[in-house]
Amino acid sequence: MTEVPTTGSETETEALTSDELLVEEVSIDGMCGVY
Amino acid sequence: MSTRTDATFDLDRAWQVDPRVSMRPEPFGALLYHFGTRRLSFLKNQTVLAVVRSLADHPTARAACLASGVAEAEVPVYARALAALADSKMITERMSHDSRT
Repeated sequence: MTEVPTTGSETETEALTSDELLVEEVSIDGMCGVY
Repeated sequence: MSTRTDATFDLDRAWQVDPRVSMRPEPFGALLYHFGTRRLSFLKNQTVLAVVRSLADHPTARAACLASGVAEAEVPVYARALAALADSKMITERMSHDSRT
């Protein structure tokens, strides 16, 4: 038996359990050609 | 300079997007760039974008969440997201005399 993939609604519910998925931060300091 | 953590974010105060932040809507949510800190933040869905955009229009962050369609049970999740944005200076506390009606 193969596993049934999760549905979109399940994925959405999971997203709401972690603020890391609501906001992701990146620093561009040190990137070449940015400024 | 004090360090802000999740525990110190006050949902019942007035907040606003920092004037030095540029916000660009994207299909996944939005991209925020802070010209002062040179940091980027990705808002990963349209609801958190709506919350952030409406912060300046509401007397509290909680009101902005509820007005943007965040369910009461989900408010703590959005509060942590806002705390992360406050920690990176993307949003700043609004003084009471600066509140909009």
